[in-house]
Amino acid sequence: MGNVNIIIDGKKVRVREGSTILEAAEANGITIPTFCNIKGLLPTGVCRVCVVEVQGSKTLVGSCHTPASEGMLVFTRTPRVVATRKVIVELMLTGHTGDCVNDPNAENCKLHNLASDYEVGAPRFNVKTPRFYPAEESNPYVRRDLSKCILCRKCVKACQDLARKNVLSIGYRGFRSKVVSGFDEELTAEACRDCLICIEHCPTGALGKPVKV
Amino acid sequence: MSDKKKTTAGGESGAGLLSKLKSEVERKNYLSRETMAGVAGQSDLPLNSVYGVASFYAYLPVFPVGKNVIKVCNCLPCEMKDVPAVVEGISREIGIGPGQTTPDGKFTLELVSCIGACDQAPAMMINDKLYGDLTAEKIAGILKSY
Repeated sequence: MGNVNIIIDGKKVRVREGSTILEAAEANGITIPTFCNIKGLLPTGVCRVCVVEVQGSKTLVGSCHTPASEGMLVFTRTPRVVATRKVIVELMLTGHTGDCVNDPNAENCKLHNLASDYEVGAPRFNVKTPRFYPAEESNPYVRRDLSKCILCRKCVKACQDLARKNVLSIGYRGFRSKVVSGFDEELTAEACRDCLICIEHCPTGALGKPVKV
Repeated sequence: MSDKKKTTAGGESGAGLLSKLKSEVERKNYLSRETMAGVAGQSDLPLNSVYGVASFYAYLPVFPVGKNVIKVCNCLPCEMKDVPAVVEGISREIGIGPGQTTPDGKFTLELVSCIGACDQAPAMMINDKLYGDLTAEKIAGILKSY
């Protein structure tokens, strides 16, 4: 496969044909935020925070799933891009409930980090029923606190394609969407062993090691 | 792209999953855990994949439902044509709210995503039959035939 030349934020970049805009940017020291992308796996393109402006495109495009093509002019931090990312993060924060909203030590939460980078304040959207699920503590290897889940699907993909276990899926639809195991049960120790791959990939505090008491 | 691993929901083994689930619902009214486990085994899929698919669709109930399932469209066009009044009319008639089943097991009332009858909004389906241009007043007459 040949190479393509594109320009990202004024920087001339040469990448292998078939690379995504995100890959091209990362390889050249340009940072684009993302929640749902796992390097080396097919992109899902669900979180939308990696959107960028491409000259000639009416809409912003997801950089994690848009291949770089010859002569493409990409802008990763225009006012339009920043304004869009802010609203996306704000929407995610709306469904990201639980104690971490008020937790000053929520430094491991990438969503909160990005929210503070982009100066997103408290979300202005009111929801009829806040997204709340009790934290699941029964599994000896993984603690799931799905109120904090932003449905990036990384755990589903990591479990399926990296751990080759496939114990997680997305269930229900719309506001009720949720990562489920089995028949929407708590993760059992038989289904989920101690590979911890999902914890490693979770961008928020939804998946973590069990809290030792 | 050849170095990338392929991700599909179940891949090849997921083929025909929806039609299998649908025929199980037709036979047994809803998808019990045993039924879903059976389909998962046949299709070589994990339980979570089958449950994930089934729970997405209002037409594939994963909990026991009444003999007749009333699916009221809850999308924007129906909402604009005052679907809440229709739901209220149904609730008055059979005494249950959305997500509930009458004690005699005759009706289950559900709010569902678009049923593709926006031209007749507000619309609902009872089992496989479509009812459009609804008003709260029309409800009693319709329900009487069940």
